[in-house]
Amino acid sequence: MKRVVVDPVTRIEGHLRVEVSVDESTGKVQDALSSGTAWRGIELVAKNRDPRDVWAFVQRICGVCTSTHALAALRAVEDALGIQIPKNANYIRNMMHSCLDVHDHIVHFYHLHALDWVSPVEALKADPKKTAELQQQVLDTYNVSGLQPNDLESSTSAYPKEFPKGNATYYAAVQTKVKKIVESGQLGIFSAQWWDHPDYQLLPPEVHLMAISHYLTILDRQRDIVTPHVIFGGKNPHPHYIVGGMPCSISMDDMNAPVNAARLASVDESISLAKDLVNYFYLPDLLAIGHLYVKAGMVDGGGLAKKRVLAYGGYPDDTFTGISNGDYFKKALVRANGVVENFELGWEKATFTALEGEDLMNPDFLSEEINHSWFEYPNGETSLHPTEGVTKPAFTGPKTGTNKKWEFLDEEKKYSWIKSPTFKGKACEVGPLAKYIVVYVKVKQGVIKDPTWAEKMMVDQIDAVSKVLGVPAHVWLCSTVGRTAARGLDAQVAANLSQHFYNRLVENIKTGDTVVADTRKFDPNTWPKEAKGVGVLDAPRGGLGHWCVIKDGRVDNYQCIVPTTWNACPKTIAGEHGAYEANMMDTKVKIADKPLEILKGIHSFDPCLACATHLYNKKGEKIVSVNTDALCK
Amino acid sequence: MCITLICIDAIKLLQERGFFVKESLNSLWNLFQERKLSRRTFMKSCVALTAILGLPPALTNKVVAAAETKELPTVIWLHGHECTGCDESFIRSTSPFASDVILNMIALEYDDTLAAASGEPFEHHLHHLLESKKGKYVLAVEGGVPLDENGSYCQVGGRPFVDVLKECAEGAAFIIEYGSCAAWGGIQAAKPNPTNTVSVSSIVKGKKIIKVPGCPPIPEVMTGVIMHYALFGEIPPLDVEGRPKQFYGNRIHDTCYRRPFFDSGLFVEHFDDDASKAGWCLYKVGCRGPETYNSCGNLRWWNGLSYPIQSGHGCIGCSEKGFWDNDNFYQRLPHIHTPNTITDVDTLGTVAGFGAFGAVIAHGGITLAKHKYDSIQEEKKYLAEQEAKQKEAEQKGSDQ
Repeated sequence: MKRVVVDPVTRIEGHLRVEVSVDESTGKVQDALSSGTAWRGIELVAKNRDPRDVWAFVQRICGVCTSTHALAALRAVEDALGIQIPKNANYIRNMMHSCLDVHDHIVHFYHLHALDWVSPVEALKADPKKTAELQQQVLDTYNVSGLQPNDLESSTSAYPKEFPKGNATYYAAVQTKVKKIVESGQLGIFSAQWWDHPDYQLLPPEVHLMAISHYLTILDRQRDIVTPHVIFGGKNPHPHYIVGGMPCSISMDDMNAPVNAARLASVDESISLAKDLVNYFYLPDLLAIGHLYVKAGMVDGGGLAKKRVLAYGGYPDDTFTGISNGDYFKKALVRANGVVENFELGWEKATFTALEGEDLMNPDFLSEEINHSWFEYPNGETSLHPTEGVTKPAFTGPKTGTNKKWEFLDEEKKYSWIKSPTFKGKACEVGPLAKYIVVYVKVKQGVIKDPTWAEKMMVDQIDAVSKVLGVPAHVWLCSTVGRTAARGLDAQVAANLSQHFYNRLVENIKTGDTVVADTRKFDPNTWPKEAKGVGVLDAPRGGLGHWCVIKDGRVDNYQCIVPTTWNACPKTIAGEHGAYEANMMDTKVKIADKPLEILKGIHSFDPCLACATHLYNKKGEKIVSVNTDALCK
Repeated sequence: MCITLICIDAIKLLQERGFFVKESLNSLWNLFQERKLSRRTFMKSCVALTAILGLPPALTNKVVAAAETKELPTVIWLHGHECTGCDESFIRSTSPFASDVILNMIALEYDDTLAAASGEPFEHHLHHLLESKKGKYVLAVEGGVPLDENGSYCQVGGRPFVDVLKECAEGAAFIIEYGSCAAWGGIQAAKPNPTNTVSVSSIVKGKKIIKVPGCPPIPEVMTGVIMHYALFGEIPPLDVEGRPKQFYGNRIHDTCYRRPFFDSGLFVEHFDDDASKAGWCLYKVGCRGPETYNSCGNLRWWNGLSYPIQSGHGCIGCSEKGFWDNDNFYQRLPHIHTPNTITDVDTLGTVAGFGAFGAVIAHGGITLAKHKYDSIQEEKKYLAEQEAKQKEAEQKGSDQ
């Protein structure tokens, strides 16, 4: 038995450490722990601020899934104050959300995840001519652009503008550059990886060269996917919003207006580009690599996804009156709110449990435990709802080593700044995979009787990929490969959601409605003395919830449960492992001190560790020092 | 003959690529290899080159060494208390492209966000760099430095971030503080600063530090600092705060396309009112442009596409020290001279620093706005005259 530490885990947002005990003879992971190693205290900073500013503060929880925390904050404040945003603002916010989904997923795949699968060293062995042939073959075999709804085709884009440069000359040029880098000895971002790991040999050299080339293409094109943030919010990362809608007024009378026909043209172009990059780069590459892995029988890493997943859903098609009153879920285009258990048995045998608006405020549904987190609850409490959350730090240090230099953390006691969120006392996995499982089961079991175009597309995508791979959905979805694949499919839906909301925006402007903000309740004098609200959405990494209590015009309490809190959490009271740990324990490690499979599994969640919550108790008393909750999207 | 030609090329190359600075971007030996020339030819050229440069023959070895060096500047990029928004902004750069920066301008040898490697080999690589590149590497830091609990609020590789930072700063040629967290402490240092987070320069002393604030900074400002170094072989000129003058020399107010409206007294009163649709000045709904030094007004985001004000929201001052505690963001800034109450001309340029108004007065802006107003009036007058003439002509026609 060998205990292996990976710290820092890189190509993620934030600071994460994992420790695994590997049986070297079988490669089986006997135990695993995941630890968030930083705490920033954003919620404490948000306290006592003006609720109209709080979106800007909490947006800084994360710059990778930028804007998702702002959106959750705006929704929580608007839910508390009973503000219904105008139609145009809803369309624009949804577009900003969906373009971020595409961007975040594609950057994750190429820049944060790809180097677990492909290697520049292997790319040197490739034949550029054969790579060009492979590129064509991949586009022929894995082109799933036909899954997109016909009526969401762009009416303006005459032809796809961005295609892979699939010729031998191009691949030779990229290969020459990679060769120079390798020979220079200055490997830069490619330094010090376990390039000799046998998993890199699973794919032919031409796949490596193709993927490395696309790494560069996407690196240079990704920014144009989030152009809607720059048009509607002025910048990216961290675009601007306002409580009550959007600040970007619409006028066809003035070039000084934030939004007019010329500005919409930039958004239009960006949406078409996003579709091209997803359809001609991301999905074909993903499916080609995934197919080779599935063929090789590498479908491990399912972990908690097999047992239990949770999602919130979202993308309200129409403006809604509130979230805790349930209207948000009614208007959602993706009604993924709910929990699915035992999907590993297939959709017929899986169990679905609903999660409605009022449940979000109910401690019987959502709560957080601290059995293995560096905290204490008062009065022997073991589990608290986020709105009642208390944080009293109880840092106990590592099991061995010192606070200045940890050796091993204590898996029997406390070992993370991340709390353990639970649904009815049980751990859940969240993320695109969870969202797909919930929607798939809801539609197949008839819980959703009239699927929206987006829900139908999600089911069609899963069935189409199952056909390509030749295995049933629950087999390939509940795995590291499936988690990565679901993210790619989600990007395709998101690109079409952008087109959908863009079309709706244009249609609505055509009727003469250019309103983007309702400022009747912008003045704090119009607010109740006390109010509380919740904001939810499925961010790129899964279900994100913000809870806000407003008192006397200021933020009295602010709490978030973010996707990475769900996934990276330590063990629950019931002894159940969180999703990262369950994934590691469901993963076979070939070489104990080069645990590439562990990295691949952890990266399949797209970790985002930036944040911390629960900084003060329910009376609002400041607690001097604190905890960390994994952060993000 | 051949050698002479190559030497001329070589001198050009050395001049262009910075033979006379510490780090050169490509090597003469590399060039020779590309042209399939032998090592012997290379050595001969170096001897000739030494003479052409007017250097004593004893220095030939140094010329050879310089000509062989093809190192890119090694960059070590650390992450403290941050959100990775600065990394994200960095890769949004398109001039230069992020790919060109990380493959051709620098060797990004240690960066949590983009590096392939993790864990022990990655930390081992860092320590190798600290020794082998001592005094030569560039240290880029993203994020603030938490000090409470002995730095345990941010552990990297099992060690407090503050310890890692100090260790890495020691051998750095210079340091770049990327973003407002590294430069000022940032969001986590806002009241009540629960972790007692401070800027990098509060911890590291005696080093050249370039501040590149912003939450995040504009992509081309981040890569612009590297570009300047790549082009000229030296760090860009800095202001008293340590910020590159070319990017932080103006207030957004002074470069804002909506400035003429400020000067004309034309303001947005409420979000989405008619003035918002016409793109008037956002000062009354809280814009921090008058006290924020940044390139949003001239360089803008996405190579000129927009910036927060152009998208209808006031600037929140994200590149200024302590801006988070200058809330709420919709409260009009006090002490800003509003239009038609222009400061005495003699005070021009005497008031400096953020939070104060007066460095640049509205003169140009007023002129612009008045010009626009006058043009409209002139156009109206012209159209009226034309109409009158036409009527007159029609009148004449009908008379005849």
